[in-house]
Amino acid sequence: MTNRQKIDVGEGAAIPTRNDWGLFNAWMISLVGAVASILYLLIAHPEPYRRLLVYLGDGIVITFKVTIASILCACCIGLITGLGRVSKNKVINLIASTYVEIIRGIPLLVQLFYIYYALGRFLNVPDLTAAVIAMSVCYGAYMGEVFRAGITAIDKGQTEAARSLGFNTRQTMFLVILPQAWRTILPPVGNEFIALLKDTSLVSILAVADLLRRGREFSSETFLYFETYTMVALVYLVITLILSKGVSFMEARLSHYVRR
Amino acid sequence: MKRLFKSIIIAAAMSVLALGVVGCGKKDEQKPADNATAAASGPKTIVFASDATYPPMQYMDESKNIVGFEVDVIKAAAEKAGFKAEFKNVAWDGIFAGLAAGKYDAISSSVSITDERKAAMDFSDPIMPIEQILVVPTDSKATSLADLKDKTVGAQISTTSALVLKDAKGLKAAKTYDEVGLAMEDLVKGTIQAVLADSPVAVEYTSHKYPDKIKIAGVVKSDKVENIGIAVKKGNKDVLDLVNKGLAAIKADGTFDKIKAQHNMK
Repeated sequence: MTNRQKIDVGEGAAIPTRNDWGLFNAWMISLVGAVASILYLLIAHPEPYRRLLVYLGDGIVITFKVTIASILCACCIGLITGLGRVSKNKVINLIASTYVEIIRGIPLLVQLFYIYYALGRFLNVPDLTAAVIAMSVCYGAYMGEVFRAGITAIDKGQTEAARSLGFNTRQTMFLVILPQAWRTILPPVGNEFIALLKDTSLVSILAVADLLRRGREFSSETFLYFETYTMVALVYLVITLILSKGVSFMEARLSHYVRR
Repeated sequence: MKRLFKSIIIAAAMSVLALGVVGCGKKDEQKPADNATAAASGPKTIVFASDATYPPMQYMDESKNIVGFEVDVIKAAAEKAGFKAEFKNVAWDGIFAGLAAGKYDAISSSVSITDERKAAMDFSDPIMPIEQILVVPTDSKATSLADLKDKTVGAQISTTSALVLKDAKGLKAAKTYDEVGLAMEDLVKGTIQAVLADSPVAVEYTSHKYPDKIKIAGVVKSDKVENIGIAVKKGNKDVLDLVNKGLAAIKADGTFDKIKAQHNMK
């Protein structure tokens, strides 16, 4: 019995249940490792690491701001696009699909350059706004696809049942389908959040003073490339790990309501 | 089972094909390397890193060659001192890290000689002095950094201009760009109110690229003369001696002044 792996019985593929050794899971090891490394560097080598972390400070704030603003906007755009993609209205459907096809076909870096430098000639947007617009437009398209997949994954019987109970299409979508779709949507959307956070490093190309740009400025003045990028990587890792824990916490909360 | 077997065969065939393509690519790449080793027995080849986004000092022409004033100077110096100069386009941010890592022998990219940089690398004799010039939109009245209180000023990252901005007081923000051209673009757009740049670049952008949109506001005075030179890895005396020999020779026989005249440099 001891060596036999437990297998969840239910729908889907038979995957052995996760067998974490309590605190020693991958997430914990990474987070403790990263935080411990940062603390070790700060205590054992206060010069230059303390100066470096102080210098990076406002960059971390900017990275956070861009990430949070982009996640919120991208979620809204994604929801609208996802609904558009499953809409029966042909025009709306076509607009949403075209948007997704175009945006998915252009690299984020090119979109950033395009919005800031190419379109910037006609409408002058501040760098931070341009960064948030580019990130949300790009990730809105990806999230739209996730929303669409989540909505279509809900059993057709749910719509049929809701409609026969007298719900109209809108009520069916918002009161019956979407609340259930959240469960399917959340894990991939969480992945998109994390990818978005890491991709905010690209906005440094617009001279936005984010974490990466502050690191580049520091290293270019002091020539301490190893120290700077070690610290920048560790800070990104810590932020990403915290965000991913937040996502899996929400996942756990939502799966609480699943009928087993 | 048959289908599985078939797909394995196809996958194997495709990977062989892919490897073949990569292999061919490698073979092509090896050729110049062979040439380089062959050339080592003849005149010495010195590889210079240049950030070719810095007109008129070094930039890419339409046939993708690195050209410019400093490039011509180095080529002339190479001829006199008997070495072969090869130019490699390297992004400015990280160009010093590449030198320290031995990716090239020297940097020829309008590098200003500063005490901080001298601590990290060795410099040739000065090529020429430059100044820090403030560039503003044509309708601006500012003539110095002091006139730009609570304004945003841009410069290229890790240049002496960026250092001056960092120490300037009263600015709203000092923005650092990857390329000086991007800073000028933002200035033309109106996102920032001024750009600080090296004098040759400031002249190029205000007189040739955007003559009716931006102008030179003034020189940022410094108590020290700022010279540009060739940077080499600390202790690389062989390369440094050759470069210095070439620079001295072209300055002595008037070639340097001729190149300056060709490029309309003051």
